[in-house]
Amino acid sequence: MSAFKRRTTSKQPPLPSGTRPSPGSPATTITSSGIPSLDDILGGGLPLSCSLLTLAPDAHSAYGELVVKYFAAQGLSCGQRVCVVDSRPDSFLSECMWIPGNNVPPAPSTNASGLSHTTPAEDEEDERASEHDTKIKIAWRYEQMKQFQTTVQSTSQSTEDFCRTFDLTYRIPDATIAATRAEGRFIEVKPDENNSDVSSLCRKVLRRLSEILSSADADASSNVATRICIPALGSYEWGDLLPSDICCFLHSLRALLRRHPRACAAVCMPPHLCQEAFGGAGWVQKLGWLTDASITLAAFTANPYLTAMFSSHHGLVHVHSLPAPHTLLPPSDKFSTLRGLTSSGENNLAFKCMRKRLIFETLHLDVEGGVSERRTTPSANSIAAEAGDEHAHDNDHGSAGTQPGSVAAVQVQLEQTQIAPSAPEQPVKSAPPAEKTDTAVKKVKIKKKVGFISDKPDLYDF
Amino acid sequence: MFPPSALPLPGQVLLITDELLAPADFLLHRFLSDHLKESKHSPALLVSVSEDVGRWKSIAGRSNVSLAAHVDSGLVGVIDAMAHVVPALENDGQRPLRALFYAVRHKLDYPSDKKTLVILDDVASLEWIGIPVEEVARFARVLCALCRQRNASLVLRYHVVTPGEPDELFKRLLQLSNYHMDVCPLSSGRSGSVSGQVALHLGPASAEPECPLVSRNAAVHYRLTDSGSMFFDRGTGNSVL
Repeated sequence: MSAFKRRTTSKQPPLPSGTRPSPGSPATTITSSGIPSLDDILGGGLPLSCSLLTLAPDAHSAYGELVVKYFAAQGLSCGQRVCVVDSRPDSFLSECMWIPGNNVPPAPSTNASGLSHTTPAEDEEDERASEHDTKIKIAWRYEQMKQFQTTVQSTSQSTEDFCRTFDLTYRIPDATIAATRAEGRFIEVKPDENNSDVSSLCRKVLRRLSEILSSADADASSNVATRICIPALGSYEWGDLLPSDICCFLHSLRALLRRHPRACAAVCMPPHLCQEAFGGAGWVQKLGWLTDASITLAAFTANPYLTAMFSSHHGLVHVHSLPAPHTLLPPSDKFSTLRGLTSSGENNLAFKCMRKRLIFETLHLDVEGGVSERRTTPSANSIAAEAGDEHAHDNDHGSAGTQPGSVAAVQVQLEQTQIAPSAPEQPVKSAPPAEKTDTAVKKVKIKKKVGFISDKPDLYDF
Repeated sequence: MFPPSALPLPGQVLLITDELLAPADFLLHRFLSDHLKESKHSPALLVSVSEDVGRWKSIAGRSNVSLAAHVDSGLVGVIDAMAHVVPALENDGQRPLRALFYAVRHKLDYPSDKKTLVILDDVASLEWIGIPVEEVARFARVLCALCRQRNASLVLRYHVVTPGEPDELFKRLLQLSNYHMDVCPLSSGRSGSVSGQVALHLGPASAEPECPLVSRNAAVHYRLTDSGSMFFDRGTGNSVL
């Protein structure tokens, strides 16, 4: 008869709903940001007591706010408390995405098994179908290898409680918002309430957050984590903030989160505040030091060359800092498959916003160096710079034929100095002028340019 | 053998600069744990501006130093700098760092012939949150003077956000320091096997180097692991790779 007695489980308090221990360090509790690929970049999820800053310097898109919306929706759906710091928290929350199908949110104590949802594999497939119309012939020894993965999958049932599958085509039903408000899980903090002193708005918000977190901690019976969502820190409702005000706010917010370790925060700033024009040299680095996790979503919206080059993505992702609340090394270095630090160097990351979700992926150049590009001439940027010279040559057409050779040479020089400083225009489809060869002046050989149009048959298609 | 075990020397000031891609936390933890392991009674003082003490404790635990016990016994003092600075800032005080200095002086106010280590982590955040550069520079200067008087070794940490263009505060801090250790990332970006490189320079406050210096061209590479850091010469990788 063995005297073996199973040791009783250690007397650790149960984890709040929607969280789990970090794989790298059991002392850290992590919670999902709502986007599985972002969770992977962060090393499993955002640790409690840490702050996540999303910078989106592109003024024509709102991807940073989208990340904060995912964060809020995830918090509401897994039973956590969500505190929204915004002048219109209602409209912010009503724009958040939600789980498709059954619209009733689960109560915090029950499982999520009642929810029906379309598997992400389905919409993954209809995105992939368009790309795989031609079956590529691969060598026989590689046929057994699995397909090249650019992002992480999130369909396993065990992770369902940790990260819900959100659908961008659905919005949170009003009934859900009202229910969470009644339960006390949706708290609003409006920075411009009681328009008193604009200079101390940040301090007022911090004081209010401190009260909310202290009362949440004092309530020992409920074991609920709190998420603070700040979709537009420093927007016009906050008044005219200086860079030092924003630094002070982020610094104090992080200190506040450390004091109340069952809370975490996701912050996003308006585009004009994410740039060095506002904060001075090294602004992005400063923000990276002042927050635990900071990423930049650099969208391609304003840059047609990048959009053409990386047509399957909507922007680049730059990771500045990663959370490591209890360790020297951030757990993401070891556990992130997207960043890929365990293999050779770090992967380049990009994001794309599909119809139903936002994905972060690794960025690789396509097989032929681009979807519709064959590099027979220098790259697009240098073509644009030379367009100024082209105009000089075009204007010289008329004069070169009538004037004697020596005078033409002088005129060419004059034309070039006048035209070249002007703004370069789109690369013009121009045949090389034939009468250039008879002038005595040695000119730069005009490079042949072809306009790349993908639907017309390619000139070099043999 | 890097880092030189003699550093930081008593009565001298060591300035550590780092960048976002290569933070110097590991150096501070290493200095603290070496100091505590060296002798059982050498006091230390941690003035923390940005990070809380819980992280120090958990990382120290990985190198078998129970920081919590030392803090409780009073051997290691911890000052939360923002607790002294924020009230002064809110009252629009003229000298927001004065209260912090008095707190530090109070902690060091004991007759001690033992080697004391003072770590200020970090100076750059004080400037970023709005305290004027002049004020921060004066605070650093008076802190250096205090440590030299008490024959304590001082370690200052500064974040460089514009590599290659030293800013005003960095120049002032450099003038005060005996040694300058700078931690930079590799120019080829992050890698799994090498986390960054460290160089050691002589600061303007000392005349002759008492430890071997390491120039930037021959910088020592380091690699961070769960339990600490290991150093290896550039291109060798013995015991690491």
